Amino acid sequence: MKTLLIVDDEFEICDFLKTFFEEREYQVRTATSGQAALREIAESRPNVVLLDIQMPVMDGMAVLKKIKQDFPGVKVIMVTAVETREKIEEAIRLGADNYITKPLSLEYLEKDVQEKISHLTSPA
Amino acid sequence: MNLFLKKRRRVVKKIMVGVCLFAAGSLASVLFAAAAARWKHASWGALPFAPVLIMTVVCLLVYKPLDLLFTRLFKDYFFKKKSYAHMTLMNFASDLALILDLGELANLVVNTFGEVLCLKTVALLVPNRVRNDYEIASAYGWSVSDAKRIRLREDSPLIGLIRSEGAHTLVRDRAVRTLAWQDANRLAHDFDSLRAGWLIPLFVKSEFVGAMAFSAARPEASFDEGDFHFFREFADATAKCVRNALFVSELKVANEELQDVQSHLLQSTKLAAIEQLATGLAHEIHNPLTIISGKAQVLLLQKDRNRLDQRIEEVLKTIVKQTKRAADITRKLLMFSQGSGAPKESLKLEQVLEDTIALVSYQTSLDGIEMTRKIVNAIPPVYANVHEMREVFLNLILNAVQSVGSKGKIHCEIHYQPQNQVIEILISDTGCGIPEDRLDKVFNPFYTTRSDGVGLGLFVTKQIVHRYGGSIRVESRPGQGSLFLVRLPREEVPASTVSAQKSFAWPLLKEEPLPREEPELGDF
Repeated sequence: MKTLLIVDDEFEICDFLKTFFEEREYQVRTATSGQAALREIAESRPNVVLLDIQMPVMDGMAVLKKIKQDFPGVKVIMVTAVETREKIEEAIRLGADNYITKPLSLEYLEKDVQEKISHLTSPA
Repeated sequence: MNLFLKKRRRVVKKIMVGVCLFAAGSLASVLFAAAAARWKHASWGALPFAPVLIMTVVCLLVYKPLDLLFTRLFKDYFFKKKSYAHMTLMNFASDLALILDLGELANLVVNTFGEVLCLKTVALLVPNRVRNDYEIASAYGWSVSDAKRIRLREDSPLIGLIRSEGAHTLVRDRAVRTLAWQDANRLAHDFDSLRAGWLIPLFVKSEFVGAMAFSAARPEASFDEGDFHFFREFADATAKCVRNALFVSELKVANEELQDVQSHLLQSTKLAAIEQLATGLAHEIHNPLTIISGKAQVLLLQKDRNRLDQRIEEVLKTIVKQTKRAADITRKLLMFSQGSGAPKESLKLEQVLEDTIALVSYQTSLDGIEMTRKIVNAIPPVYANVHEMREVFLNLILNAVQSVGSKGKIHCEIHYQPQNQVIEILISDTGCGIPEDRLDKVFNPFYTTRSDGVGLGLFVTKQIVHRYGGSIRVESRPGQGSLFLVRLPREEVPASTVSAQKSFAWPLLKEEPLPREEPELGDF
């Protein structure tokens, strides 16, 4: 089963992404804050995390750092509302596996998630 | 050579005087004999040469005082004439102090000096502090455009000679003669490049502020001590004026630089404000746009669904397309405000053009647009940001595509002008053209003639081109097509940053997702 965690402080975004990926036979969980996301990861160990950068309290960067530190096997795709070079550069340095900008193209996103998962499963 | 000539002239003169005196003596004695014979038989008839000799001796004795007398009379006359010229020039020199423009001052000095003293050529040499060499500010007697090409380096022998000799008038022949042949050759070359036989250095106290180089109408002319004394006085007066004018021109340059920096500062402050605004806007707007577009896409991409009504599908596609358009506005604004810090690298513009054409080739082949390209002579690599350059090409080509509509031609051309190091990019189309009254508006932000256009493409393009110190221009004939001409000065790749910039990679930026690839939308 392909597992996916969607982290975004906007509930509506989590909602439509969940609908979209569930239709494509993913097991999807959602989190609307950084802390909730880390709890979810510890609990369910998803294959891929879609992580929004801009979030209150604990932002995407902090979560990314924690994930790469505690769960290095989890692939992370950063989702940004603004394509700021410094942010992207920082995310890549921290170990993000890719980044996409809003508004999202779901087709592209699915392809990307699929690719990350196939990378995970094929060597094993 | 000159000396020898002068001596020979003196010898010839003396011989001529001797012959003349002898002739005068003979004539006088014959006349005297003839006159005396009327009254009384000449007692010296037995010695026919005696009267000639006696009269010659008399003439010889009278010659010297007469010569002195005449010389004094003539000298007085010439001196008066000369001193009148000197006086005119000195009065003129005191008036010069009022002129602060170096060009005007130089013109006036060389022309007046040349005309009053009937010289062949005059040139005013002034230091150029920016290039640290010497150039001719103005010239009399030869074409100013020729003169402007002459530059003397700080280490040239002539400048060296002036610095060691101080404020003394230099005579070409005399100065050259004091040196060994190789140095003499180089010094003579410097003199000749200024077309000068004489050179008056301009000093204000010990500061060297320039020099007046001149040559006389007749090559054999020479000046005496009095002339040199006058040159010195005139040079002192002129030197002060030249120095003031130099100060003023330096101040002007400094002022312009300051204004330039200030306007840059203002521009960057504006850009920073726009960036802040655009970043804020993007955050606030992109989330709702993501939700709207996402939900529409979920419906469009639904699996095992009942077939949607055709009309509903159209509506959903429009929603996705329009949300993307809205997001593009902030993206473009960000692109243009962030750009100044964008990483630069050594780029091949023809490759960027190729990539951009490839990007739009799907669209153009659908519309039946013929795209041609031409690279005229080898284009040197430019030091620029690849995204910005692509944005320039993409916006210009997309603009052409939209103006052509369907069935037409777009031609792209890149030139390089090595003489002024400018790269020219030409993009022309056979589209609808732009009416004359709108030509100056096409680069304005949010100006568009299309119902679905944002109106930022050409604006951003212009901003990018300006940031690289270039210019962009448009020519158009309504109904026949338009031509956009971008001129980019070639920026040298800073040697120290080449390796650093090359290693700076944006691995993921290259596989950038949806936003910029237009054709993807058609797939919905």
